[in-house]
Amino acid sequence: MSSQTIAEKKDTDSVEIPRDIPEGWSPTILAFACHYCAFAAADLAGVMRLSYETNVKIIRLPCTGKLDHIYVMRAFERGADGVFAAG
Amino acid sequence: MIVGTQKPMEEIWEMIKSYKKVLVFGCNTCVAVCHQGGNKEAEIMASMLNMHAAQEGVEIEIQHSGIERQCEHEFFEPAEDTIAGVDAVLSTACGIGVQFMAEKYANTPLFPGLDTCFLGAVDEHGVFSEKCQACGKCVLGETGGICPVSRCAKRILNGPCGGSTNGKCELSKDLDCAWQLIIERLTALGRMDDYEKLAELKDWSFDRAGGPRKFIREDIQV
Repeated sequence: MSSQTIAEKKDTDSVEIPRDIPEGWSPTILAFACHYCAFAAADLAGVMRLSYETNVKIIRLPCTGKLDHIYVMRAFERGADGVFAAG
Repeated sequence: MIVGTQKPMEEIWEMIKSYKKVLVFGCNTCVAVCHQGGNKEAEIMASMLNMHAAQEGVEIEIQHSGIERQCEHEFFEPAEDTIAGVDAVLSTACGIGVQFMAEKYANTPLFPGLDTCFLGAVDEHGVFSEKCQACGKCVLGETGGICPVSRCAKRILNGPCGGSTNGKCELSKDLDCAWQLIIERLTALGRMDDYEKLAELKDWSFDRAGGPRKFIREDIQV
Protein backbone atom coordinates (compact mmCIF):
# COMPACT_ATOMS: atom_id res chain seq x y z
CA MET A 1 0.00 0.00 0.00
CA SER A 2 1.48 3.38 -0.94
CA SER A 3 1.71 6.22 1.54
CA GLN A 4 -0.60 8.23 -0.71
CA THR A 5 -3.32 5.62 -0.39
CA ILE A 6 -3.04 5.69 3.38
CA ALA A 7 -3.24 9.49 3.44
CA GLU A 8 -6.34 9.46 1.21
CA LYS A 9 -7.98 6.97 3.52
CA LYS A 10 -7.37 9.24 6.52
CA ASP A 11 -9.45 12.01 4.91
CA THR A 12 -12.58 9.89 5.29
CA ASP A 13 -11.91 9.32 8.97
CA SER A 14 -14.36 11.86 10.41
CA VAL A 15 -17.08 10.79 12.80
CA GLU A 16 -18.65 14.23 12.92
CA ILE A 17 -22.23 14.67 11.74
CA PRO A 18 -22.85 18.28 10.63
CA ARG A 19 -25.70 19.96 12.56
CA ASP A 20 -27.50 23.30 12.27
CA ILE A 21 -26.24 25.94 14.70
CA PRO A 22 -29.00 27.16 17.04
CA GLU A 23 -29.54 30.88 17.51
CA GLY A 24 -27.73 32.50 20.42
CA TRP A 25 -25.37 29.58 20.70
CA SER A 26 -21.85 30.26 21.85
CA PRO A 27 -19.10 27.66 21.75
CA THR A 28 -17.40 26.29 24.83
CA ILE A 29 -13.69 26.62 24.30
CA LEU A 30 -11.01 24.94 26.37
CA ALA A 31 -7.58 26.48 26.42
CA PHE A 32 -4.67 24.31 27.46
CA ALA A 33 -2.03 26.78 28.53
CA CYS A 34 1.60 26.30 29.45
CA HIS A 35 2.34 27.42 33.03
CA TYR A 36 5.45 29.29 31.98
CA CYS A 37 4.21 31.38 29.07
CA ALA A 38 0.57 31.36 27.96
CA PHE A 39 -0.85 30.88 31.44
CA ALA A 40 1.46 33.58 32.76
CA ALA A 41 0.19 35.82 29.97
CA ALA A 42 -3.41 35.11 30.99
CA ASP A 43 -2.43 35.91 34.56
CA LEU A 44 -0.92 39.18 33.43
CA ALA A 45 -4.11 39.96 31.49
CA GLY A 46 -5.98 39.51 34.76
CA VAL A 47 -3.62 41.83 36.61
CA MET A 48 -4.16 44.39 33.85
CA ARG A 49 -7.95 44.00 34.33
CA LEU A 50 -8.38 42.90 30.73
CA SER A 51 -11.48 40.81 30.15
CA TYR A 52 -12.18 37.96 27.82
CA GLU A 53 -15.25 35.90 26.96
CA THR A 54 -16.49 33.64 29.72
CA ASN A 55 -16.95 30.72 27.39
CA VAL A 56 -13.17 30.23 27.28
CA LYS A 57 -11.99 28.00 30.11
CA ILE A 58 -8.28 27.81 30.82
CA ILE A 59 -6.58 24.64 31.97
CA ARG A 60 -3.02 25.08 33.17
CA LEU A 61 -0.47 22.52 32.12
CA PRO A 62 3.12 22.36 33.41
CA CYS A 63 4.10 22.50 29.72
CA THR A 64 2.12 22.03 26.49
CA GLY A 65 4.33 19.00 25.99
CA LYS A 66 2.08 17.45 28.64
CA LEU A 67 -0.91 17.77 26.30
CA ASP A 68 -1.85 14.24 25.35
CA HIS A 69 -4.11 13.29 22.43
CA ILE A 70 -6.61 11.90 24.84
CA TYR A 71 -6.98 15.21 26.75
CA VAL A 72 -8.23 16.77 23.53
CA MET A 73 -10.52 13.82 22.81
CA ARG A 74 -11.95 13.90 26.33
CA ALA A 75 -12.61 17.62 26.00
CA PHE A 76 -14.74 17.04 22.89
CA GLU A 77 -16.32 13.94 24.40
CA ARG A 78 -17.50 16.00 27.37
CA GLY A 79 -18.99 18.73 25.26
CA ALA A 80 -16.27 21.25 24.44
CA ASP A 81 -16.77 22.78 21.01
CA GLY A 82 -13.21 23.87 20.51
CA VAL A 83 -9.81 23.36 22.04
CA PHE A 84 -6.69 25.40 21.71
CA ALA A 85 -3.23 24.83 23.01
CA ALA A 86 -1.11 27.81 23.92
CA GLY A 87 2.50 27.49 24.88
CA MET B 1 7.31 -5.29 12.52
CA ILE B 2 3.77 -5.62 11.27
CA VAL B 3 2.26 -2.47 9.81
CA GLY B 4 -1.48 -1.83 9.73
CA THR B 5 -3.77 1.13 9.17
CA GLN B 6 -6.97 1.93 11.01
CA LYS B 7 -10.17 1.03 9.21
CA PRO B 8 -12.49 3.93 8.36
CA MET B 9 -14.64 4.85 11.37
CA GLU B 10 -17.87 4.16 9.47
CA GLU B 11 -16.78 0.58 8.74
CA ILE B 12 -15.88 0.07 12.40
CA TRP B 13 -19.15 1.59 13.54
CA GLU B 14 -21.18 -0.73 11.30
CA MET B 15 -19.44 -3.74 12.87
CA ILE B 16 -19.98 -2.80 16.49
CA LYS B 17 -23.14 -0.70 16.66
CA SER B 18 -25.50 -3.56 17.48
CA TYR B 19 -23.66 -4.46 20.70
CA LYS B 20 -24.32 -2.89 24.08
CA LYS B 21 -20.86 -3.08 25.61
CA VAL B 22 -17.80 -2.98 23.40
CA LEU B 23 -14.14 -3.10 24.33
CA VAL B 24 -11.59 -1.40 22.08
CA PHE B 25 -8.55 -3.50 22.77
CA GLY B 26 -5.06 -2.32 21.84
CA CYS B 27 -1.93 -4.28 21.06
CA ASN B 28 1.11 -2.36 22.21
CA THR B 29 3.83 -3.94 20.09
CA CYS B 30 4.06 -3.75 16.27
CA VAL B 31 0.95 -1.73 15.51
CA ALA B 32 1.81 0.72 18.29
CA VAL B 33 5.05 1.55 16.46
CA CYS B 34 3.08 2.68 13.42
CA HIS B 35 0.70 4.61 15.74
CA GLN B 36 -2.39 2.73 14.59
CA GLY B 37 -3.32 0.04 17.07
CA GLY B 38 -1.42 0.59 20.31
CA ASN B 39 -3.13 1.05 23.65
CA LYS B 40 -3.06 4.81 23.19
CA GLU B 41 -4.67 4.56 19.75
CA ALA B 42 -7.27 2.17 21.18
CA GLU B 43 -8.15 4.79 23.79
CA ILE B 44 -8.50 7.48 21.13
CA MET B 45 -10.59 5.18 18.93
CA ALA B 46 -12.87 4.40 21.90
CA SER B 47 -13.30 8.12 22.51
CA MET B 48 -14.19 8.75 18.84
CA LEU B 49 -16.70 5.89 18.90
CA ASN B 50 -18.24 7.22 22.12
CA MET B 51 -18.76 10.59 20.46
CA HIS B 52 -20.16 8.97 17.36
CA ALA B 53 -22.59 6.94 19.47
CA ALA B 54 -23.72 10.12 21.23
CA GLN B 55 -24.30 11.87 17.91
CA GLU B 56 -26.20 8.91 16.51
CA GLY B 57 -28.23 8.63 19.72
CA VAL B 58 -27.24 5.01 20.16
CA GLU B 59 -26.83 3.63 23.67
CA ILE B 60 -23.59 1.75 23.68
CA GLU B 61 -20.88 1.55 26.30
CA ILE B 62 -17.43 1.70 24.80
CA GLN B 63 -14.51 0.79 27.00
CA HIS B 64 -10.84 0.69 26.17
CA SER B 65 -7.96 -1.43 27.31
CA GLY B 66 -4.93 -3.12 25.86
CA ILE B 67 -2.05 -5.47 26.40
CA GLU B 68 1.49 -5.68 25.19
CA ARG B 69 0.88 -8.44 22.65
CA GLN B 70 -2.28 -10.11 21.39
CA CYS B 71 -0.53 -13.08 19.80
CA GLU B 72 0.60 -14.84 23.01
CA HIS B 73 -1.52 -16.41 25.73
CA GLU B 74 0.56 -15.13 28.65
CA PHE B 75 -0.09 -11.47 27.95
CA PHE B 76 -3.87 -11.79 28.27
CA GLU B 77 -3.94 -12.57 31.99
CA PRO B 78 -4.42 -8.99 33.29
CA ALA B 79 -7.23 -8.36 30.79
CA GLU B 80 -9.25 -11.54 31.32
CA ASP B 81 -11.93 -9.90 33.49
CA THR B 82 -12.27 -6.91 31.19
CA ILE B 83 -12.78 -9.13 28.16
CA ALA B 84 -15.24 -11.34 30.02
CA GLY B 85 -17.34 -8.30 30.93
CA VAL B 86 -18.13 -7.08 27.40
CA ASP B 87 -20.43 -8.16 24.55
CA ALA B 88 -17.87 -7.67 21.78
CA VAL B 89 -14.24 -6.74 21.29
CA LEU B 90 -12.83 -4.43 18.66
CA SER B 91 -9.20 -5.44 18.47
CA THR B 92 -6.68 -2.98 17.11
CA ALA B 93 -4.06 -5.68 16.72
CA CYS B 94 -2.90 -7.03 13.38
CA GLY B 95 -4.75 -9.92 11.77
CA ILE B 96 -2.69 -12.33 13.85
CA GLY B 97 -3.84 -10.82 17.13
CA VAL B 98 -7.49 -10.70 16.05
CA GLN B 99 -7.43 -14.38 15.03
CA PHE B 100 -5.58 -15.36 18.17
CA MET B 101 -8.23 -13.68 20.30
CA ALA B 102 -11.05 -15.17 18.23
CA GLU B 103 -9.70 -18.65 18.95
CA LYS B 104 -8.99 -17.88 22.59
CA TYR B 105 -12.39 -16.33 23.32
CA ALA B 106 -14.66 -18.51 21.22
CA ASN B 107 -17.88 -16.96 22.59
CA THR B 108 -16.90 -13.32 22.28
CA PRO B 109 -17.55 -11.60 18.94
CA LEU B 110 -14.25 -10.18 17.68
CA PHE B 111 -13.83 -7.42 15.10
CA PRO B 112 -10.73 -5.95 13.49
CA GLY B 113 -10.06 -2.26 13.95
CA LEU B 114 -7.16 -2.29 11.51
CA ASP B 115 -6.37 -3.39 8.00
CA THR B 116 -3.11 -5.28 8.33
CA CYS B 117 -0.83 -4.17 5.51
CA PHE B 118 2.70 -5.54 5.51
CA LEU B 119 5.94 -6.46 7.30
CA GLY B 120 7.97 -3.33 7.27
CA ALA B 121 10.52 -0.98 8.77
CA VAL B 122 10.42 2.58 10.05
CA ASP B 123 12.35 4.39 7.31
CA GLU B 124 11.94 7.68 9.10
CA HIS B 125 9.49 9.07 11.65
CA GLY B 126 6.03 8.44 10.22
CA VAL B 127 7.23 6.53 7.15
CA PHE B 128 6.85 2.77 7.07
CA SER B 129 7.78 0.61 4.13
CA GLU B 130 7.51 -3.03 3.21
CA LYS B 131 10.74 -4.97 3.54
CA CYS B 132 9.85 -8.66 3.84
CA GLN B 133 7.18 -11.02 2.56
CA ALA B 134 8.14 -13.96 4.79
CA CYS B 135 8.72 -16.12 1.71
CA GLY B 136 10.37 -18.79 3.84
CA LYS B 137 13.68 -18.98 1.94
CA CYS B 138 15.75 -15.86 2.44
CA VAL B 139 17.84 -14.65 -0.50
CA LEU B 140 19.31 -11.55 1.17
CA GLY B 141 22.74 -13.18 1.31
CA GLU B 142 22.93 -13.21 -2.49
CA THR B 143 21.31 -9.83 -3.09
CA GLY B 144 23.42 -7.56 -0.93
CA GLY B 145 20.83 -7.34 1.84
CA ILE B 146 18.08 -5.94 -0.38
CA CYS B 147 15.06 -8.16 -0.92
CA PRO B 148 13.82 -8.63 -4.49
CA VAL B 149 10.88 -10.72 -3.26
CA SER B 150 9.28 -7.93 -1.24
CA ARG B 151 10.70 -4.85 -2.92
CA CYS B 152 10.45 -5.79 -6.59
CA ALA B 153 6.85 -5.62 -7.83
CA LYS B 154 7.44 -8.69 -10.00
CA ARG B 155 9.46 -10.56 -7.36
CA ILE B 156 12.02 -11.49 -10.00
CA LEU B 157 15.32 -12.98 -8.94
CA ASN B 158 17.81 -12.42 -11.77
CA GLY B 159 18.20 -8.73 -12.35
CA PRO B 160 15.84 -5.90 -13.27
CA CYS B 161 13.04 -6.14 -15.82
CA GLY B 162 12.62 -3.80 -18.77
CA GLY B 163 10.46 -1.47 -16.72
CA SER B 164 13.37 -0.18 -14.66
CA THR B 165 14.18 3.41 -15.66
CA ASN B 166 16.72 5.71 -14.01
CA GLY B 167 16.63 3.50 -10.95
CA LYS B 168 12.86 3.68 -10.57
CA CYS B 169 10.18 1.05 -11.05
CA GLU B 170 7.64 1.44 -13.84
CA LEU B 171 4.87 1.27 -11.23
CA SER B 172 5.76 4.66 -9.81
CA LYS B 173 8.46 7.26 -10.14
CA ASP B 174 8.66 7.29 -6.35
CA LEU B 175 9.37 3.58 -6.13
CA ASP B 176 12.98 2.46 -6.25
CA CYS B 177 13.80 -0.46 -8.53
CA ALA B 178 14.95 -3.12 -6.06
CA TRP B 179 17.35 -4.58 -8.58
CA GLN B 180 18.93 -1.20 -9.22
CA LEU B 181 19.52 -0.95 -5.46
CA ILE B 182 20.93 -4.48 -5.40
CA ILE B 183 23.35 -3.76 -8.24
CA GLU B 184 24.48 -0.51 -6.63
CA ARG B 185 25.06 -2.25 -3.34
CA LEU B 186 26.88 -5.23 -4.85
CA THR B 187 29.05 -2.78 -6.80
CA ALA B 188 29.86 -0.87 -3.63
CA LEU B 189 30.77 -4.13 -1.92
CA GLY B 190 32.89 -5.26 -4.87
CA ARG B 191 30.66 -8.31 -5.28
CA MET B 192 29.32 -7.87 -8.80
CA ASP B 193 30.61 -11.36 -9.66
CA ASP B 194 27.75 -12.64 -7.49
CA TYR B 195 25.28 -10.77 -9.68
CA GLU B 196 26.34 -12.87 -12.65
CA LYS B 197 25.41 -16.09 -10.84
CA LEU B 198 21.99 -17.31 -11.91
CA ALA B 199 19.53 -17.71 -9.07
CA GLU B 200 17.93 -21.12 -9.10
CA LEU B 201 14.19 -21.53 -9.42
CA LYS B 202 12.74 -20.41 -6.13
CA ASP B 203 10.88 -23.02 -4.13
CA TRP B 204 7.63 -21.19 -3.43
CA SER B 205 6.31 -24.10 -1.35
CA PHE B 206 7.97 -22.39 1.62
CA ASP B 207 5.89 -19.31 0.84
CA ARG B 208 2.09 -19.20 0.97
CA ALA B 209 1.98 -21.60 -2.00
CA GLY B 210 2.62 -24.41 0.47
CA GLY B 211 -0.43 -23.44 2.55
CA PRO B 212 -0.43 -21.95 6.05
CA ARG B 213 2.94 -22.47 7.67
CA LYS B 214 3.92 -23.70 11.09
CA PHE B 215 7.19 -23.84 12.99
CA ILE B 216 7.58 -26.16 15.96
CA ARG B 217 10.42 -26.27 18.48
CA GLU B 218 9.77 -29.55 20.24
CA ASP B 219 12.63 -28.98 22.68
CA ILE B 220 10.99 -25.92 24.22
CA GLN B 221 7.44 -27.20 24.23
CA VAL B 222 5.86 -27.69 27.64
